[in-house]
Order: sequence, then structure tokens, then C-alpha cells
Amino acid sequence: MELFDTTQIGLERAISGAAQRQTALASNLANANTPGYKARDVDFHSALRAAFASGAKGEEVERTTFAETTQNGVMRADGNAVDVDVESAKLSQNALEYQTLVQVARGRIDIIESAMGAR
Amino acid sequence: MSMFGSLDISASALSAERLRMDVTAENLANAQSTRTQGGGPYRRKEVVLQQSGGGFAGALAAARQSDGPAGGVRVQGIVEDTAPDRLVYDPSHPDANQQGYVRMPNVNPVTEMVDLISASRSYEANVTAMQTAKQMFTKTLELLR
Repeated sequence: MELFDTTQIGLERAISGAAQRQTALASNLANANTPGYKARDVDFHSALRAAFASGAKGEEVERTTFAETTQNGVMRADGNAVDVDVESAKLSQNALEYQTLVQVARGRIDIIESAMGAR
Repeated sequence: MSMFGSLDISASALSAERLRMDVTAENLANAQSTRTQGGGPYRRKEVVLQQSGGGFAGALAAARQSDGPAGGVRVQGIVEDTAPDRLVYDPSHPDANQQGYVRMPNVNPVTEMVDLISASRSYEANVTAMQTAKQMFTKTLELLR
């Protein structure tokens, strides 16, 4: 058995997916007043879900990449399609999710460490 | 992707929104200025924002760090409003013309106040985004504990 199983690798990919999503959402808020700007998002959930559903092994899960999607929502007269309230809500939701993922990853590392007798 | 990418993006927005506030303050301060260096009354100024790092040239400039972070916002320029000047009847004014009309700046205080609120709220939203990113990075450090 490997030291880090597929779940652990999946958790780490999800953490980096959430970090990538945070950058996209921060960019949306930064461009809330830029004419012609369209809101972007990173759907790392469905990419990881697809990887797990296909029964991927650790290495394959590790290679999962997350694409940035552009949203075509309701536009203002200047062509800007950023809803500040929606983006703020997504931002705090994503941050909570990130913290949860880090907590779970840390918990699993703790288990391995006590098995090793490291603490 | 750099670790502090989202912080850089929010920081670029903070400076852009601050400039918008500065320009709005300038417009309000000069709402009654009938003389400028270029002659004629003061003309309302407006900030033009642009997404930085868009397209190939933008990505190259962002990579060379000569043009803010990719996905951030940058100020493309400050343009003058081309709306016509307001004509106010005030024959005693030193800048009044033969008919007694004075050409006043094309500044509407109501528009400026709305811009000020918009800039202020956007600033707050970006400060919140920055704080959230900071919390996330702090949490990541717990993995090393």
C-alpha cells in the first residue's frame, strides 16, 4: 500500500483547485468596474468528480487540471457582467471550503504520523 | 500560478479604485473653476479601467511584471468628459461673456457622489477578498505544523 492514497492526493488537488478558483474570483471583484469584462470561475468540483468516477488511480488524479470558464450572465450597458454580491458570496464560500479541505488533509497526515510514532 | 496571485490582483484593484476616488474628488473640487491652464472652464475627468494580462501582449507584459498581475485591473488612462459646458447667467462674474453668461464646468455633483459611493464599495469588496485570501494562506501554513 502506498503512503499517500488516492483520497489524500484528491484532497491536495482540491486544495490547489480552490486556490485557483480564489484567484479567478478575486479577479472578478477587481474588474467589477471594467467595461466589457465577463465573470470567470473554476469548476474544480466536476473535474475531480469525473476523475474519481472513472476510477482513476493516484497518479491520474494528480494530473487533473482545472479549466477556467467564462460566464455569460446579464450584462450592464457597458458590457460588464460581474455581480459583486454573487462574487463575494462565492469568495467566502470558497475560502471556507479551502479551510475545510486543509483541515481534513492535516487530520489524515496526523493519522499517518501517529502510525509512524512520530508524535 | 504564484501563491500570492489573488493578493496581487486585489491590490491592483485597490489602487485603481483609489485613483477613481481621487479623480472624483478633483471633479468635485473644481465644480466651480472657470479658469484652467488650457483656457476655458474645468472639464470633468473620468478614469478608464482595463483588465490587465488580457491577450498575448498582456500575458507577456504580466509575465515580465511590467504591467500588473494577469487578471488584475489597470488604469488605461484618464479622459476628459466631452459633454458641453454649463451656461450660467451671471453678468457680474469676471468671466461672463457679452450676453452675461458664464461657461461653468460640465461637472454634475450628483454623478460625482454616485461615482464616489461606487468606488468606495468596490474598494471594500476588494479589501474583503484580500482578507479572505490572507486567511487561506494562514490556514495552509498549518499543514507544516
